[in-house]
Amino acid sequence: MDKKVEAIILAIMCFILTIGICIQINTVNNNGSTVSGSQQENNLKSQVLKMKEKYENQYAELERAERELEKERENIASSNTELAELESKIKKANLLLGNTNVTGTGIKVTLSDGKADPKILDAENLIVHAENVLAVVNEMKNAGAEAISINEERVTNTTAISCDGNIIIVNGKKVGSPIQITAIGFVELLSNLNRPGSTLETFKNNGKIVDFKKNSNLEIPKYTGVLNFKYAKTVK
Amino acid sequence: MKKGKISMTITIGIVCFLLVMIIFMQFKVVRQSEETNINTMQEAELRQELANWKIKYEEAKEKYDETSETLKTYKEESTSDNQTKETLEKELENLEMALGKTNVEGEGVIITLNEKTEKELADEEEITPINAQDLIYIVNYLKDAGAEAISINGERIVNNTYIVDIVGESIIKINSKYLRTNSYEIKAIGNSSYLESSIFGKGGYVEQLNTTGINAKIERSNRVRISKYEGDFETKYMQEKELETKK
Repeated sequence: MDKKVEAIILAIMCFILTIGICIQINTVNNNGSTVSGSQQENNLKSQVLKMKEKYENQYAELERAERELEKERENIASSNTELAELESKIKKANLLLGNTNVTGTGIKVTLSDGKADPKILDAENLIVHAENVLAVVNEMKNAGAEAISINEERVTNTTAISCDGNIIIVNGKKVGSPIQITAIGFVELLSNLNRPGSTLETFKNNGKIVDFKKNSNLEIPKYTGVLNFKYAKTVK
Repeated sequence: MKKGKISMTITIGIVCFLLVMIIFMQFKVVRQSEETNINTMQEAELRQELANWKIKYEEAKEKYDETSETLKTYKEESTSDNQTKETLEKELENLEMALGKTNVEGEGVIITLNEKTEKELADEEEITPINAQDLIYIVNYLKDAGAEAISINGERIVNNTYIVDIVGESIIKINSKYLRTNSYEIKAIGNSSYLESSIFGKGGYVEQLNTTGINAKIERSNRVRISKYEGDFETKYMQEKELETKK
Protein backbone atom coordinates (compact mmCIF):
# COMPACT_ATOMS: atom_id res chain seq x y z
CA MET A 1 0.00 0.00 0.00
CA ASP A 2 2.70 2.38 1.07
CA LYS A 3 4.75 1.40 -1.95
CA LYS A 4 1.86 2.02 -4.30
CA VAL A 5 1.38 5.59 -3.08
CA GLU A 6 5.09 6.21 -3.41
CA ALA A 7 5.16 4.93 -6.95
CA ILE A 8 2.22 7.13 -7.94
CA ILE A 9 3.85 10.23 -6.47
CA LEU A 10 7.07 9.47 -8.30
CA ALA A 11 5.24 8.93 -11.55
CA ILE A 12 3.45 12.27 -11.21
CA MET A 13 6.70 14.08 -10.44
CA CYS A 14 8.49 12.56 -13.40
CA PHE A 15 5.57 13.46 -15.63
CA ILE A 16 5.61 17.11 -14.56
CA LEU A 17 9.37 17.35 -14.98
CA THR A 18 9.18 15.84 -18.44
CA ILE A 19 6.49 18.28 -19.51
CA GLY A 20 8.59 21.12 -18.15
CA ILE A 21 11.58 20.01 -20.17
CA CYS A 22 9.52 19.54 -23.31
CA ILE A 23 8.08 23.07 -23.07
CA GLN A 24 11.53 24.50 -22.56
CA ILE A 25 13.00 22.64 -25.50
CA ASN A 26 10.15 23.83 -27.65
CA THR A 27 10.71 27.51 -26.79
CA VAL A 28 14.42 27.21 -27.32
CA ASN A 29 13.86 25.58 -30.68
CA ASN A 30 11.56 28.39 -31.74
CA ASN A 31 14.17 30.93 -30.77
CA GLY A 32 16.92 28.85 -32.27
CA SER A 33 15.61 29.25 -35.78
CA THR A 34 16.28 32.97 -35.64
CA VAL A 35 19.30 32.81 -33.40
CA SER A 36 21.37 30.66 -35.69
CA GLY A 37 20.15 32.11 -39.00
CA SER A 38 22.53 32.26 -41.87
CA GLN A 39 26.19 33.04 -41.57
CA GLN A 40 25.62 36.35 -43.28
CA GLU A 41 22.99 37.40 -40.79
CA ASN A 42 25.30 36.63 -37.90
CA ASN A 43 27.94 38.66 -39.57
CA LEU A 44 25.55 41.57 -39.98
CA LYS A 45 24.51 41.33 -36.36
CA SER A 46 28.04 41.70 -35.12
CA GLN A 47 28.56 44.59 -37.51
CA VAL A 48 25.49 46.35 -36.13
CA LEU A 49 26.68 45.85 -32.57
CA LYS A 50 30.15 47.08 -33.45
CA MET A 51 28.82 50.18 -35.17
CA LYS A 52 26.52 50.89 -32.24
CA GLU A 53 29.45 50.65 -29.86
CA LYS A 54 31.53 52.87 -32.11
CA TYR A 55 28.76 55.49 -32.02
CA GLU A 56 28.40 55.24 -28.25
CA ASN A 57 32.12 55.73 -27.72
CA GLN A 58 32.18 58.67 -30.09
CA TYR A 59 29.15 60.18 -28.39
CA ALA A 60 30.74 59.84 -24.95
CA GLU A 61 33.84 61.55 -26.29
CA LEU A 62 31.70 64.33 -27.76
CA GLU A 63 29.97 64.84 -24.40
CA ARG A 64 33.33 65.10 -22.67
CA ALA A 65 34.52 67.66 -25.21
CA GLU A 66 31.33 69.67 -24.78
CA ARG A 67 31.74 69.77 -21.02
CA GLU A 68 35.29 70.93 -21.45
CA LEU A 69 34.16 73.57 -23.92
CA GLU A 70 31.63 74.87 -21.43
CA LYS A 71 34.29 75.19 -18.75
CA GLU A 72 36.57 76.96 -21.20
CA ARG A 73 33.80 79.43 -22.07
CA GLU A 74 33.23 80.10 -18.37
CA ASN A 75 36.94 80.83 -18.00
CA ILE A 76 36.81 83.31 -20.84
CA ALA A 77 33.70 84.94 -19.39
CA SER A 78 35.28 85.43 -15.98
CA SER A 79 38.08 87.51 -17.44
CA ASN A 80 36.23 89.62 -19.98
CA THR A 81 32.84 91.28 -19.44
CA GLU A 82 32.18 91.78 -23.14
CA LEU A 83 32.65 88.10 -23.83
CA ALA A 84 30.71 87.19 -20.69
CA GLU A 85 27.56 88.42 -22.37
CA LEU A 86 28.13 86.10 -25.33
CA GLU A 87 28.84 83.23 -22.98
CA SER A 88 25.59 83.70 -21.10
CA LYS A 89 23.67 83.86 -24.39
CA ILE A 90 25.24 80.57 -25.46
CA LYS A 91 24.29 79.06 -22.14
CA LYS A 92 20.69 80.18 -22.49
CA ALA A 93 20.47 78.88 -26.06
CA ASN A 94 21.72 75.47 -24.95
CA LEU A 95 19.16 75.44 -22.16
CA LEU A 96 16.35 76.26 -24.61
CA LEU A 97 17.53 73.71 -27.15
CA GLY A 98 17.35 70.89 -24.64
CA ASN A 99 21.10 70.37 -24.42
CA THR A 100 21.10 70.29 -20.62
CA ASN A 101 19.37 68.26 -17.94
CA VAL A 102 16.76 70.44 -16.26
CA THR A 103 14.68 70.42 -13.09
CA GLY A 104 11.56 72.29 -12.04
CA THR A 105 7.89 72.15 -11.17
CA GLY A 106 5.41 70.57 -13.52
CA ILE A 107 3.17 67.66 -14.36
CA LYS A 108 3.50 64.06 -15.34
CA VAL A 109 0.92 62.36 -17.55
CA THR A 110 1.02 58.59 -17.88
CA LEU A 111 -0.89 56.90 -20.67
CA SER A 112 -1.35 53.15 -20.93
CA ASP A 113 -3.46 50.84 -23.03
CA GLY A 114 -6.87 50.03 -21.54
CA LYS A 115 -8.11 46.55 -20.74
CA ALA A 116 -10.55 44.96 -23.15
CA ASP A 117 -14.08 45.94 -22.13
CA PRO A 118 -17.29 44.70 -23.75
CA LYS A 119 -18.86 48.15 -23.24
CA ILE A 120 -16.25 49.78 -25.44
CA LEU A 121 -16.98 49.01 -29.05
CA ASP A 122 -13.85 50.20 -30.74
CA ALA A 123 -10.79 48.38 -29.45
CA GLU A 124 -8.58 50.83 -31.40
CA ASN A 125 -9.57 53.47 -28.86
CA LEU A 126 -8.09 51.46 -26.02
CA ILE A 127 -4.62 51.65 -27.44
CA VAL A 128 -2.31 54.63 -26.94
CA HIS A 129 -1.36 55.88 -30.40
CA ALA A 130 1.41 58.24 -31.49
CA GLU A 131 -1.31 60.78 -32.38
CA ASN A 132 -2.50 60.76 -28.77
CA VAL A 133 0.99 61.51 -27.51
CA LEU A 134 1.35 64.25 -30.13
CA ALA A 135 -1.91 65.82 -28.94
CA VAL A 136 -0.79 65.84 -25.30
CA VAL A 137 2.58 67.39 -26.20
CA ASN A 138 0.83 70.11 -28.23
CA GLU A 139 -1.47 70.88 -25.29
CA MET A 140 1.48 71.04 -22.92
CA LYS A 141 3.18 73.58 -25.17
CA ASN A 142 -0.09 75.49 -25.33
CA ALA A 143 -0.02 75.57 -21.51
CA GLY A 144 3.46 77.06 -21.56
CA ALA A 145 5.62 73.99 -20.96
CA GLU A 146 9.31 74.90 -21.02
CA ALA A 147 10.69 71.38 -21.26
CA ILE A 148 8.96 68.12 -22.22
CA SER A 149 10.10 64.54 -22.26
CA ILE A 150 8.44 61.31 -23.36
CA ASN A 151 9.74 58.53 -21.16
CA GLU A 152 13.43 59.47 -21.22
CA GLU A 153 13.40 61.18 -24.61
CA ARG A 154 13.60 64.97 -24.61
CA VAL A 155 11.18 66.67 -27.00
CA THR A 156 13.16 69.20 -29.05
CA ASN A 157 12.43 71.44 -31.99
CA THR A 158 13.05 68.61 -34.46
CA THR A 159 11.46 65.75 -32.49
CA ALA A 160 8.94 63.66 -34.41
CA ILE A 161 6.51 61.31 -32.68
CA SER A 162 5.67 58.49 -35.02
CA CYS A 163 4.75 54.85 -34.93
CA ASP A 164 6.09 51.63 -36.34
CA GLY A 165 3.25 49.15 -36.12
CA ASN A 166 2.29 49.19 -32.48
CA ILE A 167 5.45 50.82 -31.23
CA ILE A 168 5.75 54.56 -30.63
CA ILE A 169 8.96 56.18 -31.80
CA VAL A 170 10.36 59.43 -30.41
CA ASN A 171 13.62 60.92 -31.67
CA GLY A 172 14.05 57.77 -33.74
CA LYS A 173 14.04 55.61 -30.61
CA LYS A 174 11.45 53.09 -29.56
CA VAL A 175 9.48 54.12 -26.49
CA GLY A 176 7.93 51.44 -24.31
CA SER A 177 4.55 51.38 -22.59
CA PRO A 178 3.37 52.99 -20.36
CA ILE A 179 4.07 56.34 -21.99
CA GLN A 180 5.13 58.95 -19.45
CA ILE A 181 4.95 62.52 -20.69
CA THR A 182 6.62 64.99 -18.36
CA ALA A 183 6.43 68.78 -18.63
CA ILE A 184 8.15 71.52 -16.64
CA GLY A 185 6.36 74.84 -16.39
CA PHE A 186 3.71 76.75 -14.46
CA VAL A 187 1.79 73.99 -12.66
CA GLU A 188 -1.54 75.84 -12.40
CA LEU A 189 -1.57 76.40 -16.16
CA LEU A 190 -0.37 72.89 -17.02
CA SER A 191 -3.14 71.51 -14.80
CA ASN A 192 -5.61 72.73 -17.43
CA LEU A 193 -4.77 69.54 -19.30
CA ASN A 194 -6.80 67.66 -16.73
CA ARG A 195 -9.89 69.90 -16.72
CA PRO A 196 -13.36 68.50 -17.55
CA GLY A 197 -13.83 68.01 -21.28
CA SER A 198 -10.11 67.86 -21.89
CA THR A 199 -8.29 65.57 -24.28
CA LEU A 200 -7.14 63.47 -21.33
CA GLU A 201 -10.74 62.99 -20.24
CA THR A 202 -11.67 61.87 -23.74
CA PHE A 203 -8.87 59.30 -23.56
CA LYS A 204 -10.28 58.03 -20.26
CA ASN A 205 -13.79 57.81 -21.67
CA ASN A 206 -12.39 55.81 -24.57
CA GLY A 207 -11.03 53.25 -22.14
CA LYS A 208 -7.39 54.25 -21.98
CA ILE A 209 -5.70 54.38 -18.61
CA VAL A 210 -4.66 57.95 -17.78
CA ASP A 211 -2.76 59.10 -14.74
CA PHE A 212 -2.19 62.78 -14.00
CA LYS A 213 0.19 64.02 -11.31
CA LYS A 214 1.53 67.39 -10.27
CA ASN A 215 5.09 67.45 -9.08
CA SER A 216 7.23 70.14 -7.53
CA ASN A 217 10.52 68.51 -8.33
CA LEU A 218 10.69 67.00 -11.80
CA GLU A 219 13.77 66.12 -13.75
CA ILE A 220 13.97 66.09 -17.52
CA PRO A 221 17.04 64.69 -19.26
CA LYS A 222 18.89 66.42 -22.05
CA TYR A 223 18.51 65.42 -25.66
CA THR A 224 20.89 62.57 -26.41
CA GLY A 225 21.74 62.88 -30.03
CA VAL A 226 23.44 65.25 -32.39
CA LEU A 227 21.62 68.27 -33.73
CA ASN A 228 22.90 68.45 -37.25
CA PHE A 229 22.01 70.90 -39.96
CA LYS A 230 22.93 69.81 -43.46
CA TYR A 231 20.44 71.71 -45.59
CA ALA A 232 19.57 74.90 -43.77
CA LYS A 233 22.01 77.81 -43.86
CA THR A 234 21.59 81.08 -42.04
CA VAL A 235 20.98 84.04 -44.34
CA LYS A 236 20.51 87.73 -43.63
CA MET B 1 15.19 -4.65 2.29
CA LYS B 2 15.80 -1.39 4.14
CA LYS B 3 19.14 -0.88 2.44
CA GLY B 4 17.52 -1.22 -0.96
CA LYS B 5 14.99 1.43 -0.14
CA ILE B 6 17.63 3.92 0.94
CA SER B 7 19.70 3.47 -2.20
CA MET B 8 16.56 3.83 -4.30
CA THR B 9 15.63 7.08 -2.54
CA ILE B 10 19.12 8.45 -3.09
CA THR B 11 19.03 7.54 -6.78
CA ILE B 12 15.68 9.24 -7.23
CA GLY B 13 16.97 12.26 -5.33
CA ILE B 14 19.95 12.58 -7.66
CA VAL B 15 17.80 12.21 -10.77
CA CYS B 16 15.40 14.88 -9.56
CA PHE B 17 18.31 17.20 -8.79
CA LEU B 18 19.75 16.74 -12.28
CA LEU B 19 16.38 17.36 -13.88
CA VAL B 20 15.91 20.56 -11.91
CA MET B 21 19.38 21.72 -12.94
CA ILE B 22 18.59 21.10 -16.59
CA ILE B 23 15.40 23.10 -16.31
CA PHE B 24 17.24 26.03 -14.77
CA MET B 25 19.85 25.92 -17.50
CA GLN B 26 17.11 25.99 -20.08
CA PHE B 27 15.50 28.99 -18.43
CA LYS B 28 18.79 30.81 -18.57
CA VAL B 29 19.20 30.15 -22.29
CA VAL B 30 15.72 31.41 -22.99
CA ARG B 31 16.27 34.58 -20.99
CA GLN B 32 19.57 35.32 -22.67
CA SER B 33 18.13 35.06 -26.14
CA GLU B 34 15.38 37.48 -25.19
CA GLU B 35 17.83 40.03 -23.88
CA THR B 36 19.02 41.16 -27.25
CA ASN B 37 16.12 41.71 -29.58
CA ILE B 38 18.65 42.06 -32.34
CA ASN B 39 18.58 38.28 -32.60
CA THR B 40 15.08 38.31 -33.97
CA MET B 41 15.77 40.88 -36.67
CA GLN B 42 15.69 39.97 -40.32
CA GLU B 43 18.42 40.72 -42.77
CA ALA B 44 16.78 43.78 -44.32
CA GLU B 45 16.11 45.23 -40.88
CA LEU B 46 19.69 44.60 -39.88
CA ARG B 47 21.01 46.43 -42.91
CA GLN B 48 18.76 49.38 -42.10
CA GLU B 49 19.91 49.30 -38.49
CA LEU B 50 23.54 49.22 -39.54
CA ALA B 51 23.05 52.19 -41.87
CA ASN B 52 21.28 54.13 -39.11
CA TRP B 53 24.07 53.62 -36.59
CA LYS B 54 26.61 54.53 -39.22
CA ILE B 55 24.90 57.84 -39.95
CA LYS B 56 24.65 58.55 -36.23
CA TYR B 57 28.31 57.73 -35.77
CA GLU B 58 29.34 60.02 -38.60
CA GLU B 59 27.24 62.86 -37.23
CA ALA B 60 28.76 62.44 -33.77
CA LYS B 61 32.24 62.33 -35.28
CA GLU B 62 31.66 65.48 -37.29
CA LYS B 63 30.30 67.31 -34.26
CA TYR B 64 33.21 66.10 -32.16
CA ASP B 65 35.76 67.40 -34.66
CA GLU B 66 33.97 70.73 -34.73
CA THR B 67 33.87 70.93 -30.93
CA SER B 68 37.55 70.04 -30.67
CA GLU B 69 38.41 72.74 -33.18
CA THR B 70 36.50 75.35 -31.16
CA LEU B 71 38.09 74.13 -27.97
CA LYS B 72 41.53 74.49 -29.48
CA THR B 73 40.86 78.10 -30.42
CA TYR B 74 39.84 78.94 -26.86
CA LYS B 75 42.76 77.14 -25.32
CA GLU B 76 45.58 78.43 -27.44
CA GLU B 77 47.37 81.29 -25.81
CA SER B 78 48.14 82.93 -29.11
CA THR B 79 44.42 83.42 -29.76
CA SER B 80 43.56 87.11 -29.57
CA ASP B 81 40.49 88.44 -27.81
CA ASN B 82 39.07 89.27 -31.19
CA GLN B 83 39.42 85.72 -32.43
CA THR B 84 37.83 84.42 -29.25
CA LYS B 85 34.96 86.79 -29.73
CA GLU B 86 34.46 85.67 -33.32
CA THR B 87 34.45 82.03 -32.31
CA LEU B 88 31.92 82.67 -29.55
CA GLU B 89 29.75 84.57 -31.99
CA LYS B 90 29.90 81.70 -34.46
CA GLU B 91 28.91 79.22 -31.77
CA LEU B 92 26.02 81.42 -30.77
CA GLU B 93 24.89 81.81 -34.37
CA ASN B 94 24.77 78.04 -34.86
CA LEU B 95 22.70 77.62 -31.71
CA GLU B 96 20.36 80.43 -32.68
CA MET B 97 19.85 78.85 -36.07
CA ALA B 98 18.84 75.62 -34.35
CA LEU B 99 16.44 77.60 -32.16
CA GLY B 100 14.86 79.26 -35.17
CA LYS B 101 16.12 82.75 -34.35
CA THR B 102 17.74 83.28 -37.76
CA ASN B 103 16.43 83.41 -41.32
CA VAL B 104 17.46 80.26 -43.13
CA GLU B 105 17.64 79.09 -46.70
CA GLY B 106 18.23 75.72 -48.33
CA GLU B 107 16.87 72.76 -50.27
CA GLY B 108 13.29 71.93 -49.40
CA VAL B 109 9.63 72.01 -50.31
CA ILE B 110 6.75 74.46 -50.35
CA ILE B 111 3.35 72.91 -49.76
CA THR B 112 0.13 74.79 -50.40
CA LEU B 113 -3.23 73.71 -49.04
CA ASN B 114 -6.39 75.21 -50.52
CA GLU B 115 -10.05 74.42 -50.31
CA LYS B 116 -11.38 73.04 -53.60
CA THR B 117 -13.52 75.27 -55.75
CA GLU B 118 -17.06 74.12 -56.50
CA LYS B 119 -16.00 72.91 -59.93
CA GLU B 120 -13.26 70.75 -58.47
CA LEU B 121 -15.51 69.12 -55.91
CA ALA B 122 -16.76 65.67 -56.79
CA ASP B 123 -20.42 64.79 -56.29
CA GLU B 124 -21.49 64.81 -52.69
CA GLU B 125 -18.02 65.81 -51.63
CA GLU B 126 -17.95 68.42 -48.92
CA ILE B 127 -15.25 70.68 -47.67
CA THR B 128 -14.00 70.17 -44.14
CA PRO B 129 -11.91 73.24 -43.35
CA ILE B 130 -8.27 72.62 -42.49
CA ASN B 131 -7.98 72.42 -38.73
CA ALA B 132 -5.17 72.56 -36.20
CA GLN B 133 -4.88 68.78 -36.11
CA ASP B 134 -4.18 68.61 -39.86
CA LEU B 135 -1.34 71.08 -39.44
CA ILE B 136 0.03 69.28 -36.36
CA TYR B 137 0.14 66.01 -38.29
CA ILE B 138 1.78 67.56 -41.34
CA VAL B 139 4.44 69.27 -39.22
CA ASN B 140 5.10 65.98 -37.43
CA TYR B 141 5.44 64.09 -40.74
CA LEU B 142 7.86 66.70 -42.00
CA LYS B 143 9.95 66.46 -38.82
CA ASP B 144 9.93 62.69 -39.16
CA ALA B 145 11.35 63.16 -42.67
CA GLY B 146 14.20 65.21 -41.20
CA ALA B 147 12.95 68.77 -41.73
CA GLU B 148 15.47 71.25 -40.30
CA ALA B 149 13.20 74.29 -40.40
CA ILE B 150 9.44 74.61 -40.92
CA SER B 151 7.05 77.52 -41.19
CA ILE B 152 3.30 77.84 -41.69
CA ASN B 153 2.14 81.04 -43.36
CA GLY B 154 5.41 82.63 -42.31
CA GLU B 155 5.17 81.53 -38.68
CA ARG B 156 8.33 79.64 -37.81
CA ILE B 157 7.82 76.37 -35.95
CA VAL B 158 10.07 76.48 -32.87
CA ASN B 159 10.41 74.27 -29.82
CA ASN B 160 7.53 75.83 -27.90
CA THR B 161 5.19 76.19 -30.87
CA TYR B 162 1.64 74.96 -30.40
CA ILE B 163 -1.12 74.85 -32.99
CA VAL B 164 -4.70 75.08 -31.73
CA ASP B 165 -8.19 75.71 -33.07
CA ILE B 166 -10.00 78.67 -31.65
CA VAL B 167 -13.34 77.05 -31.08
CA GLY B 168 -16.31 78.77 -32.66
CA GLU B 169 -14.30 81.03 -34.91
CA SER B 170 -12.67 78.40 -37.10
CA ILE B 171 -9.34 80.10 -36.94
CA ILE B 172 -6.02 78.57 -36.03
CA LYS B 173 -3.56 79.93 -33.53
CA ILE B 174 0.16 79.27 -33.97
CA ASN B 175 2.82 80.75 -31.66
CA SER B 176 0.05 82.94 -30.19
CA LYS B 177 -0.63 84.46 -33.64
CA TYR B 178 -4.06 84.07 -35.23
CA LEU B 179 -4.28 82.82 -38.81
CA ARG B 180 -7.59 83.89 -40.30
CA THR B 181 -7.44 82.08 -43.61
CA ASN B 182 -8.53 79.00 -45.51
CA SER B 183 -5.29 78.52 -47.36
CA TYR B 184 -1.96 77.56 -45.96
CA GLU B 185 1.59 77.65 -47.19
CA ILE B 186 3.91 75.28 -45.38
CA LYS B 187 7.62 75.57 -46.04
CA ALA B 188 10.21 73.03 -44.96
CA ILE B 189 13.97 72.77 -45.44
CA GLY B 190 15.58 69.35 -45.71
CA ASN B 191 16.01 66.54 -48.22
CA SER B 192 13.23 67.45 -50.64
CA SER B 193 12.41 63.93 -51.79
CA TYR B 194 12.14 62.65 -48.21
CA LEU B 195 9.97 65.61 -47.32
CA GLU B 196 7.72 65.09 -50.32
CA SER B 197 7.23 61.37 -49.79
CA SER B 198 6.45 61.88 -46.10
CA ILE B 199 2.99 63.25 -46.92
CA PHE B 200 2.53 62.95 -50.68
CA GLY B 201 3.42 59.27 -50.86
CA LYS B 202 0.86 56.54 -51.34
CA GLY B 203 -1.42 56.40 -48.31
CA GLY B 204 0.07 59.70 -47.16
CA TYR B 205 -1.79 62.46 -45.41
CA VAL B 206 -2.52 64.33 -48.65
CA GLU B 207 -4.73 61.47 -49.86
CA GLN B 208 -6.80 61.90 -46.74
CA LEU B 209 -7.04 65.68 -47.18
CA ASN B 210 -8.21 65.13 -50.75
CA THR B 211 -11.30 63.28 -49.56
CA THR B 212 -12.24 66.20 -47.32
CA GLY B 213 -12.19 68.75 -50.12
CA ILE B 214 -8.66 70.06 -49.74
CA ASN B 215 -6.25 70.44 -52.63
CA ALA B 216 -2.60 70.02 -51.79
CA LYS B 217 0.25 71.03 -54.07
CA ILE B 218 3.95 70.69 -53.57
CA GLU B 219 6.87 72.43 -55.14
CA ARG B 220 10.48 71.38 -54.66
CA SER B 221 13.14 74.04 -54.62
CA ASN B 222 16.84 74.40 -53.95
CA ARG B 223 16.28 77.73 -52.32
CA VAL B 224 13.44 77.67 -49.86
CA ARG B 225 13.66 80.64 -47.54
CA ILE B 226 12.17 80.51 -44.06
CA SER B 227 12.05 83.55 -41.82
CA LYS B 228 13.05 83.59 -38.21
CA TYR B 229 10.86 83.34 -35.15
CA GLU B 230 9.94 86.85 -34.11
CA GLY B 231 9.02 86.08 -30.52
CA ASP B 232 11.19 85.73 -27.45
CA PHE B 233 11.97 82.62 -25.52
CA GLU B 234 11.33 82.99 -21.84
CA THR B 235 12.11 80.51 -19.13
CA LYS B 236 10.93 80.89 -15.58
CA TYR B 237 10.39 77.43 -14.26
CA MET B 238 13.15 75.21 -15.57
CA GLN B 239 16.57 75.28 -14.05
CA GLU B 240 19.68 73.73 -15.44
CA LYS B 241 20.61 70.75 -13.35
CA GLU B 242 24.18 70.98 -12.17
CA LEU B 243 26.34 68.12 -13.29
CA GLU B 244 27.20 65.68 -10.59
CA THR B 245 30.80 64.86 -9.80
CA LYS B 246 32.62 65.21 -13.06
CA LYS B 247 34.80 62.34 -14.09
